[in-house]
Amino acid sequence: MLFEQFLFFVFAAGALGGALGVVLIRNPFYSVLALVVHLFSLAILFLLLTAAFLAAAQIVVYTGAVMVLYLFVVAYVGGTDDELRPKPHGLANALGPFFAAAVALQLTIAVIGSSLAALDSQGAEVGDGFGSPGQIGEALLTKFLLPFEAASFLLLVAAVGAVVLARKRRGLHEPADAVSVSEVLRGGQPR
Amino acid sequence: MTVEPVLVQIAKAIVIFLLILNIVPQILLLERKLLGRFQARYGPNRVGLRGLGQPLADVLKLLSKERFTPDTAVPWMMAIAPVISIVTAVATLAIIPFGPQGAWGGDLGLYGIDVPIGVLYFFAFGSLSFYALMLGGWASGSKYSFLGAMRSAAQLISYEIAIGLSLLGVVLMAGSLSFVDIVEAQGSGGKGIWFFIPQIVGFLVFMVAGFAETARAPFDLPEADAEIVAGYNTEYGGMRFGSFFMAEYIEVIVISGVAVACFFGGWHGPGPEWLAPIWVLAKMFVFVILFIWVRATLPRLRYDQLMSFGWKVLIPIATLNVLITAIVLVV
Repeated sequence: MLFEQFLFFVFAAGALGGALGVVLIRNPFYSVLALVVHLFSLAILFLLLTAAFLAAAQIVVYTGAVMVLYLFVVAYVGGTDDELRPKPHGLANALGPFFAAAVALQLTIAVIGSSLAALDSQGAEVGDGFGSPGQIGEALLTKFLLPFEAASFLLLVAAVGAVVLARKRRGLHEPADAVSVSEVLRGGQPR
Repeated sequence: MTVEPVLVQIAKAIVIFLLILNIVPQILLLERKLLGRFQARYGPNRVGLRGLGQPLADVLKLLSKERFTPDTAVPWMMAIAPVISIVTAVATLAIIPFGPQGAWGGDLGLYGIDVPIGVLYFFAFGSLSFYALMLGGWASGSKYSFLGAMRSAAQLISYEIAIGLSLLGVVLMAGSLSFVDIVEAQGSGGKGIWFFIPQIVGFLVFMVAGFAETARAPFDLPEADAEIVAGYNTEYGGMRFGSFFMAEYIEVIVISGVAVACFFGGWHGPGPEWLAPIWVLAKMFVFVILFIWVRATLPRLRYDQLMSFGWKVLIPIATLNVLITAIVLVV
């Protein structure tokens, strides 16, 4: 139990620190790394909530695949020298802190109002095999069938859309006077 | 899944780690000896009896070398990248099943842990191991390292899909994600058949994608020494390089272990039950030889060949395999 509490506080700090780092760090590469730390810490928190499948899915999908692509793109496109800074804008600069404070206040009220009472309790009872792949699969294919299918359809549309967009902006065209090396090697005359 | 006392778990973790840690240098020697034979030369034969002292000499050399950091590097990130690589590689060792529960008496299960999400655990740490290559290459501040890191990112992401789909057929047949359950399903209590026969397509896809995931020849483009010096580990020296190197061999052992557990009946074999770990190690040894043999035989792929092979050949085949397996199992 003590070990679980220790893990909870370490990774809760990791999740919060990672989330803050995403917003506060100017260098895009480190910002993405902070997001990796955040998502990994969240996965460990899922694990502590006996949701092993969700934790593994979180790491495989988000930390292991989505963030890899982010890192790939940022490492290629964003250098270390050009820091991300908001463009100065009079009205937004003046009102921004005010709205940010208002949102923070509202969220704090919501969190304190709903979660403070739960701090001292033991949490909900979980049955045997809770969060196992079998139970999650059954829930997805019976109780949540429609949202599940709708989400997978949405992902399919997004994937097809990405392919269409990528094909449309094909950058490199083969020059007209290109010579095929393999053809020359086979003894054919260069065109 | 049974939960064992903490002390037993710690003892098992130490035993498995020490076992594999000591196997790695032997595999290294075996690889150099075999590569020598494949290329009609002797291989290392100067240190100790017939070159048996060579692994020790290698490790001592690596340990005593200078730790060099380029001016353009990010030192702290360069330091943690080898740590990530070794941690993720060792963590996957925990789920390789070496024997059933009670094979050596008592309730002792001859595996690190038996998690109900076994296969996903393997993928989770496999995908995390990418960060070692990426961060190491990026933090080195060298163009060759950067190119290697980019290659590894594209390669690992592409082949991760294929390796996942290839194991899905086995998971469908066994009805469980746990490696222990998968091995049990291949014994006389389950289907009684090693899964490489019904899942031969899945097995072939798994092995090819496994070579790519470990970045071994012919898929060693992240460190293609003829094109980009040594890729992501160009700027590394001493034991930091040694960590990358060791992680690669541990990953080879892990892929061999997963192949044995998922396709070749794990601990099943003739003889009394307490022989189980010997059978697993013997089968893994065959796969390690295969890894070395392929390295000596096949030339490195071209980069566009690597990509089109992964996306246009492996993934469609693996998807079809899963579909057909599901249809056969249900009908």
